Amino acid sequence: MTGRRRVVAALAAATLGLAAAGCGGDDDSGTSDATISMWTFKRTHVAALEQAAATFKEKTGITVKVEAFTPDDVFTSKIQSAAQTRDLPDVLELHAGGEDMRVGGGGLLTDLKGDFDEAKLQRFLPSTREAGRVTDERKAKIEELANATVGTLYSVPFTAGTFGIVYANKDKMAAAGLDPDTPPKTWEEFLTYLQATTKVDAKQGGLSLGLKVTQTGFNWVYEQLAFAYLGADRFKALFGQQAGQGFASADGIKTLELYSQLKPYWIPGASALGIDEADVAFAQGKSAFNVGGTFTMAFLSQNDMKPEKLLTFPVPPATGGKVSDLRLAPLALTGLAVTETSKQREASVKWLDFLTGAEGAGIFAKASLDLPATDLGSQAETLIGKDLAALQKFFTGPPESMYDAADKSFRPPDYDEVEVGNPLLKMSPLGEVAPAATGAELDKVLAAMWQSK
Amino acid sequence: MTAYLTETPPAAARPKAAVKRRARRKTRQWLVGYAFIAPAVVLFLVMGLYTLGYSVTLSFAKWNGFSPSWDWVGLKNYHDLLYADPRLAPEVQRAALNTGVAMVAVSAGTVLIALPLAVLLNSIRRLRGLLRSVYFLPYVTTGIAVYYAWRYVLEPDGAINLALRSIGLGSLARPQGFLGDPDTALPALIVVMIWGSVPVAMLLYLAGLQAIDPSLMEAAAMDGAGTVRRVRHITWPLLVPITVAIVLLSLRDTMQGFQIFLIMTNGGPAGHTEVLGLKAYQQAFMQSMSPTLGVASALGWLIFVAALLLAVLNARLLRGTR
Repeated sequence: MTGRRRVVAALAAATLGLAAAGCGGDDDSGTSDATISMWTFKRTHVAALEQAAATFKEKTGITVKVEAFTPDDVFTSKIQSAAQTRDLPDVLELHAGGEDMRVGGGGLLTDLKGDFDEAKLQRFLPSTREAGRVTDERKAKIEELANATVGTLYSVPFTAGTFGIVYANKDKMAAAGLDPDTPPKTWEEFLTYLQATTKVDAKQGGLSLGLKVTQTGFNWVYEQLAFAYLGADRFKALFGQQAGQGFASADGIKTLELYSQLKPYWIPGASALGIDEADVAFAQGKSAFNVGGTFTMAFLSQNDMKPEKLLTFPVPPATGGKVSDLRLAPLALTGLAVTETSKQREASVKWLDFLTGAEGAGIFAKASLDLPATDLGSQAETLIGKDLAALQKFFTGPPESMYDAADKSFRPPDYDEVEVGNPLLKMSPLGEVAPAATGAELDKVLAAMWQSK
Repeated sequence: MTAYLTETPPAAARPKAAVKRRARRKTRQWLVGYAFIAPAVVLFLVMGLYTLGYSVTLSFAKWNGFSPSWDWVGLKNYHDLLYADPRLAPEVQRAALNTGVAMVAVSAGTVLIALPLAVLLNSIRRLRGLLRSVYFLPYVTTGIAVYYAWRYVLEPDGAINLALRSIGLGSLARPQGFLGDPDTALPALIVVMIWGSVPVAMLLYLAGLQAIDPSLMEAAAMDGAGTVRRVRHITWPLLVPITVAIVLLSLRDTMQGFQIFLIMTNGGPAGHTEVLGLKAYQQAFMQSMSPTLGVASALGWLIFVAALLLAVLNARLLRGTR
């Protein structure tokens, strides 16, 4: 009897063990009750991702757990330590076009080429489709891609947008006697707007921008202004190695002089504000104008700045320049990637597919007020709302009027935007150096970049 | 003789047995002692030596923190930091200059404030304990939250500008705020660092003052020496060793610390408050996952060498004062 009991107990234990092993298996055969984890570096995305995840669970039974790690240095160290302990999540949201390449080249990401073929990539805005792909140009510039195969797809575009969008507070414009529905057409007119709002309120009527992150002045205002004034070819020449065409040239100094005209209108302490702090200052009414990107709308909204109180327009072009109606090409800002260590690859790819499809992208965009890289076409206004759809109108125009921040072809191979930001900051708002000296300093910085490669 | 022989062994055995017992006891005591320090030693060997070795090795490589292999570059990281890289070397030199300025200013400021404060506290009887606690508060509270509070105090509409304007000293107010103005950003951070380091220095001075034989002071007073002369000719010479220790602590803290710079200015405006510690952190974690951990590690070791030289200097100074 005892012996028989032992046999029965052993069989029961074996059955239970097999059943448990079946439940916790690593294969992708059954994904309907899977749980996948996702990390992002953008806190503003978490609630929207969770909202999309809820719909995704209803449809597939797959649970997605989203975690945000901010700021960027924390996210970086989190990935570094998780990579060491092989404790990465299934899905990562990364900066597109650089960070995803480095992480992928480092062996942490799986190739999505087979999951997102050419036909499926057609769902994305044209200028963003190849953002996550290893190309010859990227391979030459990014050390981590030395052993990567050209054509590998490390990420798919998730959010898209551009920099150089000016947000104006309609109430402050009205208080200054300006038409709150009419954006300035030229740089000079923009300066008169700033003059009007600062005249009404010297302390809280100016322009805010997170200049503590020094490259913002260069990337978000100066480049657009210089591109519009000089046109694409002369603008690109500023960054080249040809003597007499750099920032100390007549072209360079003229565009630096245009930028320096902002000096009287920065809000007090702009140079000590981070990007988020500058946006918060604007949302709190401490400035009349704020420069950001398409992604800024989400943050302003989360800080109680209603979209209907905002007038948005690209950095206005200066009179007498090559471009009179500046357009801004959208670039992939963030991408979605599946980690090499993921045990839920199939479920993770399904999540990516949902999130970048019309329905998922619509849910995410509407909830986050951040533009998706998914081309929503005529459904855009219905899916993402009129405020966000309105930002998309800056994306279309003739190629010669289109500033493309993603075009790195004319910059030094190891281009570091922080290094070009500092000289500009010293010129405006700090007023330590004149435009000519700033041009010479920028040429020196760029020469060092060309030399160091 | 026989009797002698039969009686002597127990007498001789007793000391031998006692020696053996003592030896066993001593061995046991050593073992217990070693057992007590063993966890710390093991921890140091595992955590300390391992990380030190790892860090030294990393300083000769290029790595981003997650790639499967390191790219060995020999002394290149050190060369780049010191002179070879036309982008990095000037930044490191500027950061070294700012670090040097901050080290001297914080050390001098700490001594200049803490010593008089300790002398004053030592000379009063009432409320000494309360005041000591009050003066110690900055040390207890200093940290990230306090740095944020200081940012509010130093911003364009902050308390300092407000106070200056309200007492008719508006010309001294900084319209860009003290952290946004290149002329005041580093001095403002130095003031905050002094504010954080004075409490410990003051306590050390107070302890030193209370250890001075009162009869020395009484004799000097009877000889007609005033307070200033007593402080200058008796108190100060006796406190020199403590001063050397305080200066060394301040130098070390300022050289290696970077949190205050990271939180309050992130090296800005336009690099005016960049210091070596912050530069190392930025190289490690703020380069969009570029393979710069080796450079950061090399910079950390350069800072370590500088700190070591300071420690040697301090040891010599201390010996000279004895």
